[in-house]
Amino acid sequence: MKNVVATNEFNQVVEGNSLGKDAWRRLRKNKMAVIGMIVVIIYSILAATAPLLPIYPYDQIILDHQHLRPSLTRTSGEIMMENRLKDLYFKAWRSGELVVTEAESAQIRKWIAANDTNKVWNFVFKEGEAQREAGIFTFNAADQRVITRLQDKIDTEFLIDVTQITFSEEKGDKRQDLSKMSYEQISRIYADLSNTDIEAVKAQTLTEVSSQLMNTLKSATPGLTAEEYAVNLELELQTIGESGVAKLGKTNLLGKISTTITRQADRDLKQEIREGLAVFPVERIIDVNDQLQAKVTATKKHERMYYLGTDYSGRDMLSRIIYGSQVSIAIGLVGTLTSVLIGIVLGAIAGYVGGKVDYILMRIVDIMYGLPYMLLVIIFMAIFGRNILNLFGALALVSWLTIARMVRGQVMSLKNSEYVEAARSMGGSTARIILKHMIPNSLSVIIVYSTLRVPAFIMQESFLSFLGLGVQAPFASWGSLVGDAVDGMTLYPWRLIFPAIAMTLFLFAMNFFGDGLRDAFDPQSKNEL
Amino acid sequence: MKQPILQVRDLKQHFPVTSGMILQRQVGSIRAVDGISFDVYEGETLGIVGESGCGKSTAVRSISQLYKPTGGSVIFNGIELTTADPRTMLAARRDIQMIFQDPYASLNPRMTVRSIIAEPLVIYNRRNLLDPPLSKLEIEHRVEELMERVGLSKVFKNRYPHEFSGGQRQRIGIARALALNPKIILADEPVSALDVSIQSQILNLLSDLQKEFNLTYIFIAHDLAVIQHISTRVAVMYLGKIVEISEAVNLYDNPLHPYTTALLSAAPIPDPVVERNRQRIILTGDVPSPDKERFGCYFYDRCPKRMPWCSNHIPPMFKRGKNHEVACWLYDETRDYHDVSMEEAKADAAKASK
Repeated sequence: MKNVVATNEFNQVVEGNSLGKDAWRRLRKNKMAVIGMIVVIIYSILAATAPLLPIYPYDQIILDHQHLRPSLTRTSGEIMMENRLKDLYFKAWRSGELVVTEAESAQIRKWIAANDTNKVWNFVFKEGEAQREAGIFTFNAADQRVITRLQDKIDTEFLIDVTQITFSEEKGDKRQDLSKMSYEQISRIYADLSNTDIEAVKAQTLTEVSSQLMNTLKSATPGLTAEEYAVNLELELQTIGESGVAKLGKTNLLGKISTTITRQADRDLKQEIREGLAVFPVERIIDVNDQLQAKVTATKKHERMYYLGTDYSGRDMLSRIIYGSQVSIAIGLVGTLTSVLIGIVLGAIAGYVGGKVDYILMRIVDIMYGLPYMLLVIIFMAIFGRNILNLFGALALVSWLTIARMVRGQVMSLKNSEYVEAARSMGGSTARIILKHMIPNSLSVIIVYSTLRVPAFIMQESFLSFLGLGVQAPFASWGSLVGDAVDGMTLYPWRLIFPAIAMTLFLFAMNFFGDGLRDAFDPQSKNEL
Repeated sequence: MKQPILQVRDLKQHFPVTSGMILQRQVGSIRAVDGISFDVYEGETLGIVGESGCGKSTAVRSISQLYKPTGGSVIFNGIELTTADPRTMLAARRDIQMIFQDPYASLNPRMTVRSIIAEPLVIYNRRNLLDPPLSKLEIEHRVEELMERVGLSKVFKNRYPHEFSGGQRQRIGIARALALNPKIILADEPVSALDVSIQSQILNLLSDLQKEFNLTYIFIAHDLAVIQHISTRVAVMYLGKIVEISEAVNLYDNPLHPYTTALLSAAPIPDPVVERNRQRIILTGDVPSPDKERFGCYFYDRCPKRMPWCSNHIPPMFKRGKNHEVACWLYDETRDYHDVSMEEAKADAAKASK
């Protein structure tokens, strides 16, 4: 088809103009909305690309790194040492070895009484360091030993990560990725590796899988008798079937092989450190036996940097916040999408059909409005179990009410407009009229409401997570991070502050963006062209 | 005798008035159209005129089955529309299209001109009611052809309605109504929202199209000059009833019904000398509410020539000459009712109702 352009009487090209284009032009003029949009986009990109970012795993627990404060320059080892020293200086002050003036001691006691632990630590640390520098104070032998041992640990400990295990039958054959092989093959490989019989390996794996399943059963339905558990286990095994068992067994075996390799690499590396040969970070391919080969990386454990500190089990707050944003933003978007879809469908039906249908639907909405929605969500989660998918479902289930009312109102006002009458006189079906005429014309209201709805969802999810009904560890969301952090609020404020800032910033941005959209879609807004 | 293309017989459109929250009871009804009958012949223009609220628009919406009529029948080309099944109805409706009053409200602001004009084609194409079925490209060509025909440049087809003036929008509406090659077009005050110069353009366009495609119009207006210009026959409506129906020339020269006379006398004449000497008939009172059943002449309350008889006898259509019918007891040639007293009239009505 030939593309014709519209020209005016001066032969200038006249551009067609749509509501969307107009809205975009108005939105661009609104600085705050644009900033909000950019922030939202950045957040979304960060959340979407989290697995590719150079950050530590969000669920890796390093107990040595509990509650490390955030620092841009110092490694975790240095902060660990500082924490230990604070502790030791404090003990020294208690036992009278660290001498301070009477006034300072009184101040320290006052801080202790007021629970200002951080102030005490900072003070004794500063004082102690200064005195040690000046040669006035030295640690006693026991303390000195503790320090030396810690320093040794910091210098030598490393983390081994087995990234890939490959297998080849004969030397020089094409190497296969172990994780892509079948349970049968892996069983044989493991049997070779551990010098046992393949049948023994399989039997062992089956016992392990059974006991795993038993554990989940016991935690899911506590308080049954042993026989009942046995019956349930049998049922469970039947439901997951042979392939299910194989899948679980494969994961177990892979873990075991990986552990064996890790142990071997660990031994080798320790030897090398003793000989002073090791240079970190290490990245090498080691031959486990004639057939197995593993790619192993090792990094110094205490050279990690925690820009936003760590939590109570030594997990990196930065990566937890980024992975948490995944969950939070997903809930915001998916929840809004589902609730808007339900709302549009029911609202449009109620508005267009009218009469009894409308009456019944709207009374349902009224009743659901009347119920405390958090209670509904909590009941829903209690019945269907606590996982992220159910959380989505529960939130969507209670939040379509307002949008349904809005769409109903719009549809009712559009129902008698002449263009809908025209479409009916042309024989347009109900579905066509709703989809082509009514929904497009109420879309601006819907879009704006949805963007304002996203922050509300994030808040609700946070609230539920805060109550312990939301996402479960090791997964994180902004709400669960804040909820976890409340315990040590005064001692470890970074655990609370950073997720809270991340969340607040996003909510602000989303609200400004939503506001901007509302103005942009309203041709009569004061923010004119 | 020509065969009528559309026959309307005793068409009634009552809108229920309900009360009660859960158990809705009908407490009355608005009798928007209360039994109208007329024929429309091929190639003619039937003008319907009347003051606001007399049921003109409702009448055409009932005829096109946008509202399900309460009673009566609409026979189009031999097909009874009120009882037709949906598919027959749809096939018949292909030949009945509407043009709406407000060119701003009758076009979906979110659709381009192309999709607005193509919509009837797309709907009928998808339901396999077009013979032969059209391809996408053919629909495109048809849209362009229609746009050129109603005087719009086809380069505007990607534009949105809000970029056009009122007259241009009404042209879009006309193009949409023409898309399916209808036989009859129901025009619901198509020019009343336009200014006078544009009105004449649109009226001329409509007459041209009528000659070209042999269209039949039912044309609603409250502007008597417009009706006079375009109509071959004119029906005058009052309170949901047709009070007079006649050839246009005849009606303007020789109005019979007291209401028609009053209506015509209300139109100003653009000549100061004539205007100054014009005899106006001022009707007293307002149009009564159409919410109760009437047993007498519908115009009785305001009629300057009312007789006791009129209060409880509904006048039938009396033939006066060729193609001129009027619903007024004054024109019953069999009897003169001036002398009948109220008591006699009442007694007669009571007897008739038994």
